[in-house]
Amino acid sequence: MGVVMPLNAETAQARTQRVINEDSTDIALFVRSSQDDMIGWNRQRIVEALLRETFVDRDTAEKISRDIEMTIQAGRVKTITGPLIREMVNAKLLEMGLEEARRMHTRLGVPLYDVDQLLVQHNKENANVPHGPEATNLTLAEGIKKEYALLQVFTPDVADAHLSGDLHLHDLGFIDRPYCSGQSLEYIKKFGLNLPHALSMAKPAKHAEVLLAHMVKFAASLQSHFAGAIGWDAINLFYAPYLEELSDEGVRQLAQMMIYEFSQQAVARGGQAIFSDVNIYWEVPKHFVDVPAIGPGGLYTGKTYGEYEKQAQRFAWALFEVYKEGDAAGRPFFFPKPLVHITEKFFKTDGHLDFLHHICEVASVKGNTYFVFDRGDTAKISECCRLSFKLEASDLEDAKQPWKMRYSALQNITINLPRLAFRAQGDDTRLFALLTEKIQLAAKAHGQKKKFIERLMSLGKGGPLSLLAMDLDGEPYLKLHRCSYLIGMVGLNELIRVHLGQELHDSDASIKFGLKVIAHMNIVCNKLAESLEMKFVLEQTPAESTAFRFAKLDLAHFSKKAEKVVQGNREKGEVYYSNSTLFNVGATMSPIARVEKEGLFHPLIEAGSITHLWLGEAQPDKEALASFVINVFKYTQNDQIAFSPEFTACLACGKTSRGLSETCPYCQSKDVDGITRITGYFTKISSWNKGKLGELHDRYRNVKRFNN
Amino acid sequence: MLNADLPPIKGFLETSFIDWPGKLCALFFVGGCNFRCPFCHNHPLVLAPEGMESLNFEKILDHLATRKNWLAGVCISGGEPTLSPGLPKMITRLKAEGWAIKLDTNGSRPEMLAQLLADNLLDRVAMDVKAPLTQDKYERCAGCPVDLSAIQESIELLTKSGIPHEFRMTIVPGLHTEEDIVAWARQFDHSCSHLTLHNFNPRTTLDVLFEKKQGFTPEIFSRMSALLT
Repeated sequence: MGVVMPLNAETAQARTQRVINEDSTDIALFVRSSQDDMIGWNRQRIVEALLRETFVDRDTAEKISRDIEMTIQAGRVKTITGPLIREMVNAKLLEMGLEEARRMHTRLGVPLYDVDQLLVQHNKENANVPHGPEATNLTLAEGIKKEYALLQVFTPDVADAHLSGDLHLHDLGFIDRPYCSGQSLEYIKKFGLNLPHALSMAKPAKHAEVLLAHMVKFAASLQSHFAGAIGWDAINLFYAPYLEELSDEGVRQLAQMMIYEFSQQAVARGGQAIFSDVNIYWEVPKHFVDVPAIGPGGLYTGKTYGEYEKQAQRFAWALFEVYKEGDAAGRPFFFPKPLVHITEKFFKTDGHLDFLHHICEVASVKGNTYFVFDRGDTAKISECCRLSFKLEASDLEDAKQPWKMRYSALQNITINLPRLAFRAQGDDTRLFALLTEKIQLAAKAHGQKKKFIERLMSLGKGGPLSLLAMDLDGEPYLKLHRCSYLIGMVGLNELIRVHLGQELHDSDASIKFGLKVIAHMNIVCNKLAESLEMKFVLEQTPAESTAFRFAKLDLAHFSKKAEKVVQGNREKGEVYYSNSTLFNVGATMSPIARVEKEGLFHPLIEAGSITHLWLGEAQPDKEALASFVINVFKYTQNDQIAFSPEFTACLACGKTSRGLSETCPYCQSKDVDGITRITGYFTKISSWNKGKLGELHDRYRNVKRFNN
Repeated sequence: MLNADLPPIKGFLETSFIDWPGKLCALFFVGGCNFRCPFCHNHPLVLAPEGMESLNFEKILDHLATRKNWLAGVCISGGEPTLSPGLPKMITRLKAEGWAIKLDTNGSRPEMLAQLLADNLLDRVAMDVKAPLTQDKYERCAGCPVDLSAIQESIELLTKSGIPHEFRMTIVPGLHTEEDIVAWARQFDHSCSHLTLHNFNPRTTLDVLFEKKQGFTPEIFSRMSALLT
């Protein structure tokens, strides 16, 4: 990469030197090249670059290089940089109307000023990225890969749709990786830690601690090959064969190690913790009951998983004991997120009520628990903020050899719904036509990413995605043909408000219309899936920063209309659209009404939904919570719920207290940071973007509001 | 039934996770109170209930009927619900619909409490005890003259009632000391298991000066709570 530097002693010295290249004219000029050295001026380099990178003919290239040479001569420049020459050539190409050549010859990079800002200030696009040299590396690399993606991977119509805020293509900075991955521990139990290009190879683990070490390392290497979440299926069950020898104390110790390992992994990629999820079952899921269990050394134990129920339960219980305690300062663990599956079989399994009270106590005290509802015969693996993969017939066949179970979504694209309503101007037909058009465009973008990843994967084990190409079980780790392509939405509530003049919580009519919109999205996805043979599925986008970005862009480009519907505080710039199909977070809705009504949308959103219940400082009764959870399963269609308490962490005395306060109740210090869920995970509020801060202020916390 | 006969419902929370141990319940806020506790959070109900519109009891009943699967009961809080002569009528009506009832009271109307207990209208009671039962302390915490014998009578009624009940005290620095807690515990003798402490929270109080105060630090609060065991 070329580096622009101010003139300094070194360049002054360079100025006095004269290097005459045989090819060049009498310009004696040093060029700071992209290859980390200084070379003499050579006009031919421009010609070579144009011929190598674009379709420009030799004569034109020669002419351009001569013109540039003249310009430089006329300017009496003494030192020049590679990037500057390139930009001059680009200007020339533009002048000559060679726009495609200019695009191909363009340079990706970052202005000096931006780097200066970046190195010093905190990037808050993702609250899970702390501030530090690793984080700035990540941001810089992401910046360039994002530019690359928009220029090279996607067609201009897709890129424009992203840049203008019609769509949001998530994780463009991770263009050369799939989006997220859910898998089974069986893979490393069976094959050990045997990764391509690794410095050493490990046989299957013989002890629980070693299995944990393998899991953590494998998760870290997956993190460097996927943009987002790394989820683990039925973690307590797959550990079970390793636990028979362990005392309760030993199991507890293992649980503690696992949670600390994942919650303290903020040292890897970009200083970013692995966004990790563990799926937990109290029962042995039906599809694993008769599956032969793999134990120490990667060998079959001679028993089936059905026989490990008690061991699996012991581990599940211990994990939640650790969650209940929190970290050394009493704060909730941010990762791994525990997702407990509530199923028909759960209620038929001994001890389920005690376990439910146990995990509800954790929900009340620390908030960690996610309650995932799998009704009827549904089985799924959940991860990310709410993403879930429903297991289909072929998956259930794989379940007989669980190491084969791995699921990936290749990319996630979110549609800006309120904008469609601005454009439709109250016309239903127009609204649905626009929506269809945007989904088609999203599908097109997915096809382009797919093609790009296919190209990288085709380079096999010698290519950049060697880990995903590894085929220890006869198939590449990434099963491209079975990937999902996510289509998400932001601001259904505001779309309704623009189109009908009411918000979702205002009337049944607005809910009904909202359902029509989402059902339409679902139908279009299914039709496109059939015709393009790609699995497009709807997801409730977490949209941690997208909800802010869309609102900001709409305020800029549709200001009159957007002003009336964006949520948050416009004066402070803390604006946002409601997430996905969520109702207004500030609406005074009882938790029952919220899970019921938001839940109406969940069956239409195959790849996962969630309802958040904000608790503020109230610490609910665990049995009251348990009865609520049972009722959500029995009487609603809601897919997943989480209760979110709020905490104040004191940076002065290190203690954690309940509720968000400006001063620490222990030591009265004002040096405090709040902690609560941003979207689907806990973080420090100081790392939140402005849109989310606006939302935090608005959240309804189930307290009575008196109007006096 | 006319709303006018009934305690004025000034607020309604459909789902409370914290007001009935072990159960999910709905919460009624009845307007009007005979105490003026300076640290009260529900002061609009105390100072200016007339200014607040009363909710329609029948509508609430109809709504609650749709929540039968979810809610285990109704908690009637306030304000001070026992000031309303129509309270038994309201509870009778709720009972007829199958709702279990919890009452929150300051214990200043033992005759009403006795009637409700005698008529089997209550399933649980939480009584706010403002301070140990000494005249000056109690009146300082309640912000008004208090007939302590009435408070004492309510405590006895509940102790002998045979229904689940608890006595709770919101403690405030400057109003309550550790000695107060010890004295309080002594007054209850052998039934300390029904006593709980709540820490003062300065967010919106009846006496605005109290908004400038802090609650006890969590360490001191848990030490004071431990005095009850």
